[in-house]
Amino acid sequence: MTNSQQAPGDAAPPSRGKIAERLLPGGEEPDPRFTLANERTFLAWIRTSLALLAGGIAIEAFTSDLFLEPVRKGLAIVLLLLGMLLSAGAALRWLRVERSMRHKAPLPLPLIVPLLAGAGAVAAAVVLVFVLWR
Amino acid sequence: MLALVTASALFLRWLPHHGLSILLLFAVSAGAALAIYLTQRRRYGAKSHGVSREHVDADITAVIWTAFTGIALGVLGIGVVLAG
Repeated sequence: MTNSQQAPGDAAPPSRGKIAERLLPGGEEPDPRFTLANERTFLAWIRTSLALLAGGIAIEAFTSDLFLEPVRKGLAIVLLLLGMLLSAGAALRWLRVERSMRHKAPLPLPLIVPLLAGAGAVAAAVVLVFVLWR
Repeated sequence: MLALVTASALFLRWLPHHGLSILLLFAVSAGAALAIYLTQRRRYGAKSHGVSREHVDADITAVIWTAFTGIALGVLGIGVVLAG
């Protein structure tokens, strides 16, 4: 029996809190293993985001003798923006996957994967051009 | 938590180059790591009991705070880079 099919006399399911009720409305609680797996995937994206944020700060200081200042700052800001976008995108993806699982719908496509791949390719191309040009 | 500690150590490493403003990034990442450390026992207990009951509530507050930490670090980092 699921939470939405309570028999008369059964205890009411515990309240999920206002934020959860608003952002994850309706549906049924998914298998706990899937909820935990979704959280682990979110944390993996957050680790990637932190690496980009730390890298963005480091590249500005680390490459002072390799790149001109505008290039250095530009690369640092691209990495920091990408880190921010990944943080926000990871939370949105977690929410969309959780909603899909609650409604037994197909899982959404990960939109942050092409974002990371595209931005990584652009950043690598910029670095390559400047290393060859220098 | 360990990734946040590592990131905070990396931010501290670049203190001589970026100046005192980098301490803001260090404070945010180290503070988030400390908050996770102080609450992880309770969250682990809730999750492990949830697995045995076959009912785990999605921890939406933790997800929002963690994402917010990443965004805040990015905003502060851009500020530090532009100010440097």
